[in-house]
Amino acid sequence: MNARLISKVMAVLTGIVSAAMIWPLLWALHDGTADAQAFVISMVLGLTLSGLLLFAGRNADFKKVRIQDAFVVVSLSWVVASVIGALPYYLHGMVPTYTDAFYEAMSGFTTTGGSVLVDIEVHPRGLLFWRALTHWIGGMGIIVLSLAILPFIGVGGIHLYKAEVPGFAVEKLTPRLHRTALRLWGVYILLTAAQVVLLHLGGMSLFESLAHSFSTIATGGLSPLNRSIAHYNSAYFDWVITFFMFISGINFVLHYRFLLGNLGIHGRDEECRVYSGIVLFSIVTTAVVLLRSGVYSTVSDALRYGAFQVVSVITSTGFFTADYEQWPAYTHFLFILLMFLGGSTGSTAGGLKALRVLALARLVRAETVSSLHPRGVFPVRVRGRIATSEARASITTFFVLYMAIFALGAAVLAALGLDFITAVSGSASALGNTGPGFGAIGPTDNFSAIPMAAKWVLCLLMLMGRLELYTVLLIARPSVWKG
Amino acid sequence: MHFRLVSKVLSLLSATVSLSMVWPLFWALRDGTGDAHAFVVSMVFGLTFSGLLFVPGWREPYKDLGVKDGYIVVGLTWLIASTIGALPYYLHGCTSSFAGAFFEAASGFTTTGATVLADIEACPRGILFWRSLTHWLGGMGIIVFTLALLPFLGVRGMELYRAEVPGPVAEKVTPRIHQTALYLWGIYTMLTLSESVFLMFGGMNFFEAVTHSFGTIATGGFSPLNKSIGQYGSLYFETVITLFMFLSGANFALHYRFLRGDARAFARDEEFRTYVWIVLASVGVITVDLLLRGNYGSLWQALRHSGFQVVSVMTTTGYITADFEYWPALSQWILLLLMVVGGCAGSTGGGVKVLRFLLLSRHSRAEFKRILHPRMILHVRVGGKIVDDAVVGSVATFFVLYMTIFAAGVLTLTALGLDVLSALSGAAATLGNVGPALGVLGPMDNFGVVSEGALWVFSALMLLGRLELYTLLLLLVPGTWRK
Repeated sequence: MNARLISKVMAVLTGIVSAAMIWPLLWALHDGTADAQAFVISMVLGLTLSGLLLFAGRNADFKKVRIQDAFVVVSLSWVVASVIGALPYYLHGMVPTYTDAFYEAMSGFTTTGGSVLVDIEVHPRGLLFWRALTHWIGGMGIIVLSLAILPFIGVGGIHLYKAEVPGFAVEKLTPRLHRTALRLWGVYILLTAAQVVLLHLGGMSLFESLAHSFSTIATGGLSPLNRSIAHYNSAYFDWVITFFMFISGINFVLHYRFLLGNLGIHGRDEECRVYSGIVLFSIVTTAVVLLRSGVYSTVSDALRYGAFQVVSVITSTGFFTADYEQWPAYTHFLFILLMFLGGSTGSTAGGLKALRVLALARLVRAETVSSLHPRGVFPVRVRGRIATSEARASITTFFVLYMAIFALGAAVLAALGLDFITAVSGSASALGNTGPGFGAIGPTDNFSAIPMAAKWVLCLLMLMGRLELYTVLLIARPSVWKG
Repeated sequence: MHFRLVSKVLSLLSATVSLSMVWPLFWALRDGTGDAHAFVVSMVFGLTFSGLLFVPGWREPYKDLGVKDGYIVVGLTWLIASTIGALPYYLHGCTSSFAGAFFEAASGFTTTGATVLADIEACPRGILFWRSLTHWLGGMGIIVFTLALLPFLGVRGMELYRAEVPGPVAEKVTPRIHQTALYLWGIYTMLTLSESVFLMFGGMNFFEAVTHSFGTIATGGFSPLNKSIGQYGSLYFETVITLFMFLSGANFALHYRFLRGDARAFARDEEFRTYVWIVLASVGVITVDLLLRGNYGSLWQALRHSGFQVVSVMTTTGYITADFEYWPALSQWILLLLMVVGGCAGSTGGGVKVLRFLLLSRHSRAEFKRILHPRMILHVRVGGKIVDDAVVGSVATFFVLYMTIFAAGVLTLTALGLDVLSALSGAAATLGNVGPALGVLGPMDNFGVVSEGALWVFSALMLLGRLELYTLLLLLVPGTWRK
């Protein structure tokens, strides 16, 4: 393991997270609230740590990056960011324990959106801004992770573009990592800005527009309001946020190409079509069920609330405009399924991802047809490319692992005293980076009453879900840490 | 497709099912109950149907049976058997609708053991004997289907059972299909007889000993008693039944080899060892969970009930001695997972099968190595021998399809009005051919409470699960029916 290199990367990351606290600090100073002090201390601590790490990582050789180092860097990034990001919450006394603070920060950086706060609105705006900002920074990290770093490491079956092997390639935008990152961040910032403008035009305050836009584009879900988007009871806000959540669940490379003038790119992309198809099916069936069960009496209401919730869950955002626990059972199970499916690759959404779902469906179809023709060869194509046997193995293994970790997570949560539906939906929700679930952690509840140990389990699930499982699982292997 | 030949095979099957009604008819005549009439009418119907099917193909030789014909025969076998088998229930009126009668018969022939009868003991003994006999016939069918017919057909995706596949996979016991079947049925009959003797030795009457043995060896779960095995409250009966359920969940080819003098046949088999470990671990965890949550006062009581329920659920039998509806969340979750895992390949148990999970876990481990060492050549081994990549691929696809059908089933059931817990556990219990579930379908409830539409969905899930998914799904592919 290249300790110096890892140390240096962590120094840069720590520096960024600490420096980012300047924005909530400005809100705190502007409001004259006491959280300013917490931010200053956190920044000092964070920058000191950054300095120490920088010293330890001097003369780091970036030419000798091995796969093992990349695993460690990626896994540690989210952990270190959360450790530092938790400081303001803890120091200000917003939450009673460091566990809660860490949970809130991890939920922010992994763009999950589960919260331990019982009454959100009593807290100063600086801290609330920081919650939203952790989403936004986390989302930026995910974009780079999924489009530039994971392809390099090669995990999870969406990686086989390494050395131009045909497979499920995430298109290489430019060969160089930082240029890729900058372009996609441009799209990311542009989308955020557009949403802020639209929300502000509709009469939302600048603070809330910013916080909600950060949360939307990162598909996070933390809101500065107790009742999330339901607070406004505004069809305009609902539809604007639905639209931006939907957009944020699509591969950002497609948005980039679109902005460069390739207007038909979304319609031509197989993954985007599958994703849109699932969303459309879910919205229509949800609206029908809501109408038939009499939860809403008009078609426009059923569509508005149904669409918002469906898109919020499939993109793993976690905003809500209605207490969907009161909805019919069909929507409950549908939402649990959508937590598993998740958005597209190359987006900020979590879950299995539409591309994998598509590939798995094609594999099953090929297998069924081949049963009739035992000697036939049935290639599986995704995005026009034939999946190699390596790609098939990676994708099915990812699915198996995802289900195994979900099952184990639910078992551990149940062992820690959670009831059946809370444990099962909590595991699915944390692993899919959605946020709220059902039972004790429904949309109108929060995670404060969950036992301490269960919070750590949820943190681990969020991290694994966010880092495409392998990354975290592999660093548990001793061979990764050998020199 | 050889229409005439398929017709001939199905004719023989219908005759077998109809003729076996002579046994429950004896009971009915002996007791002088009203169900005798229903059996006579059903037999006349069944034999007429058989005769009609026999006419077109009586001169066709069996050797012309091809892969496609094999699928059609197997797929239709369970459908026709369930239809004819449903007649006595419907004609006698112990079920209110034909959907209920079909469910009861499908549940019998697929050795599921879920019932629509609210008060079982109110039904005449002829009907109750027929329920258990359908289990026993279904179990015989499964043994032949998996160990003799599938290898003979060389069906793709079912290589698992094929003789050439090394390791714990069902070796061809003897090269010829009908001889294989006869040997296996010999073991099957012997196990049934010995269990009956053991039960009668403990004081159970002849009728109950035979019906419970039928239900055990076929891993079915129908009992002529309302409270299943729990009615006796006898440790001796529970121990005997646990032992025989456990044996029936193991590969019948191992029993054969053991009886031929290979004393270490079980110990050497990797799948069997995994099966034992899963049972032991589940019993251990559930016992501790039951004690910690205070469900039982003594270790002995907790162990006794967890042991019986774990073996019953994992072998997909479905007998009960305790209402696990009231067990803690962790115990329920483990039971639900065991429903998905199921018994060993080549047994009468349902579910995904232990062997498939063993292969999947080996496959995942190989994938980890592949990521860290991209150039390493890796093989999945079971029983010390390399398993072909295509086999591993089809096992992974099977798991994906299993989960997909499971999810689609739950979604349909919730759309039909079931709550999430009942739909989720009910789909797992029918697809895995277990029987009792949770929620409104718990061990002390019955499937009679759900709508007719939901009953058909459950029947479809039972048949899909029993026929290893593909066999039934292929009936829907037009290519199967072409010449």
